[in-house]
Amino acid sequence: MSPVTLGHFRAQARQALADPFLQQALAGATAHFREGRERALAELPDAEALRDHLKAIRRATLARLADHLETFERRAQDAGAVVHWALTPEEATRIVVQIAREHRVQMVVKSKSMTSEEIHLNAALQAAGIQPVETDLGEWIIQLAGESPSHIIAPAVHKTRQQVAELLSRATGQDLSPDDIPALAAAARRFLREKFLLAGMGISGANLAVAETGSIVLVTNEGNGRLVTSAPPVHVAILGIEKIVPTWADAAVWLALLARSATGQPLSVYTSILTGPARPEDVDGPKHMHIILLDNRRSTYVGTSYEEVLQCIRCGACLNVCPVYRKVGGHPYGSPYTGPIGAVISPLLFGLDQYPALPHASTLCTACVDVCPARIDLPRMLIDLRTETVEEQLIPRVDGWAERGAAWVLRHPRWYRWASRMMRWLLRPFIREGRLHLPPRWDPFAGRRLPAPAPRLFRDLWERGDV
Amino acid sequence: MDAREIILARLRAQQRDEPHPPAWRSRRHFPDLIARFGQALEEVGGEFLRVANWEGAWEALGKVLDDVGAKRVVVNPDPPLDRFDVAARWPTVEWHVVGRDGDVRSFAREADVGVSSAVAALAETGTVIVASGPAHSRLAVLLPPVHVVLLPASRVTVDLFTWVAQWRGASSPLPSSVTLITGPSKTADIEQTLATGVHGPGRLIVVLVEEGGE
Ligand code: SF4
Repeated sequence: MSPVTLGHFRAQARQALADPFLQQALAGATAHFREGRERALAELPDAEALRDHLKAIRRATLARLADHLETFERRAQDAGAVVHWALTPEEATRIVVQIAREHRVQMVVKSKSMTSEEIHLNAALQAAGIQPVETDLGEWIIQLAGESPSHIIAPAVHKTRQQVAELLSRATGQDLSPDDIPALAAAARRFLREKFLLAGMGISGANLAVAETGSIVLVTNEGNGRLVTSAPPVHVAILGIEKIVPTWADAAVWLALLARSATGQPLSVYTSILTGPARPEDVDGPKHMHIILLDNRRSTYVGTSYEEVLQCIRCGACLNVCPVYRKVGGHPYGSPYTGPIGAVISPLLFGLDQYPALPHASTLCTACVDVCPARIDLPRMLIDLRTETVEEQLIPRVDGWAERGAAWVLRHPRWYRWASRMMRWLLRPFIREGRLHLPPRWDPFAGRRLPAPAPRLFRDLWERGDV
Repeated sequence: MDAREIILARLRAQQRDEPHPPAWRSRRHFPDLIARFGQALEEVGGEFLRVANWEGAWEALGKVLDDVGAKRVVVNPDPPLDRFDVAARWPTVEWHVVGRDGDVRSFAREADVGVSSAVAALAETGTVIVASGPAHSRLAVLLPPVHVVLLPASRVTVDLFTWVAQWRGASSPLPSSVTLITGPSKTADIEQTLATGVHGPGRLIVVLVEEGGE
């Protein structure tokens, strides 16, 4: 993949802004999730204290992560699972392919997993002649379309019902109407049901893992997570090494906040707790269970100023409040991880040289910190990453100069005042009816009409005691 | 060094002492646990039926079977259902009793209804909790489009936190699969329009038995 440069991000963002369906879908979905989250948290007796508690758990867990991982490994093995460790995405995909080969698997069913997108698992499976079938409806739709997810929780939010009907009609060989959404879902149910029952292996991620019992926990709303981990004879779960808690008391806190922060549901419809493969006395369930613990640079950030990002529980709440994400959607980020969390974690996991634009794709408004269940200070890390992009000349010179210039002006009050005056004077010719009308060529606001600057500077008002 | 050693060595080099926070205790107090459970269940799209005793439960189940027009029904006889011969009550229906009637997989995929009990239920969220075992097939309550749960009232607890505290105290090992079910299967992946029953059961019906024993 070519790097996500500022030029790339801007071009993609412009495209997104020019797409009226996408704009409406993004506005609708993110507003829906935002309202849901607010309602769900307001309903809790002590949401703020619970968030503080989650933060404390996440921080303390990372402080002794090696111990917890070892406990997890031991307990998972006691329960009959095989635990693998992968330093790189390539190692992880190699392990999966090897397991599939050992069991002579030709087709695998997958439940939505960010980690599997992170390691490009589908491409690796296909290259090995193994067919991956995504089973989360949204993921399946974008798999059929050959696209990438645009929202952590709602991967196909950018597709219209007409597009979905077309894709599903082609896949199922039926003629499906775009106007009957339940019928589209039912067609997907029938088609994918056969896949679940035929697949030689199920691959899932894990929302979290619990060290004291060696369990992994997987949440879904559709039930595909349950099917992927129940129907095929082999189950492989892939998770980042940071997705762990020591005890069930901790896991309960994570779960109490996960769905509420993500969609506003009290819990996702299905929370599967899986501890080893099926026992001899069990009626059904997978005979073999493999768990792959993926590092992909995560361990190198423990003990650094970026450690905090490993506290993330992947709820997606930060996406839904981000003024950048809400307008441009997920695709400009060029990564499975989008929005504010993606802007920090993509450069960290895949290299800043691959994602130089992302730390700049933010207004630093800090709305993400306000909603993050773990109160992760993403803006702080965005600024640090920005500094690195400028220092290592990963963004165009002009942008680097502009940022250095801005930093300098912001540190010098007199110059700041002079610059604000200058700005108003320069903008004056473009103000009509109280709005800014920049010529399209220079317009960084993509046609949005910002209000004209206020007649007097706030600083002047303040100094004269007018506020 | 292999991946495991490299990862653990890196983490060990940065290890620090930081006290782990004590367990969070539930701060919920519901004056009427059962009422809250029913209300929360209905809010997530589940169906709630409250009956006094097992006789009432069979009556309720019979109505559901009629209503669905059930021809094939699979039952997980997990306790306390093991005390009853559920199948014998509806001789016209084709039954599969898990643990008695052989391979459940092919039956369950054609079944109209899956019946089970639940090991616990959470009042706060309207959640029922099922666990795998010799009398509980995972597929039996996953493949059919309707899942009926016959739940003794005594199994309803406050929330996740009280549930975890309960079974951690009991020190029996976790079954290989424990599933928290909060409503019927749903998706909003097509134009954010809600559709139910996309992979799991589209109807979740909980029959709560007040004098259902333990
Ligand atoms: S950074 Fe916070 S808000 Fe964003 S996905 Fe992670 S946990 Fe959720």
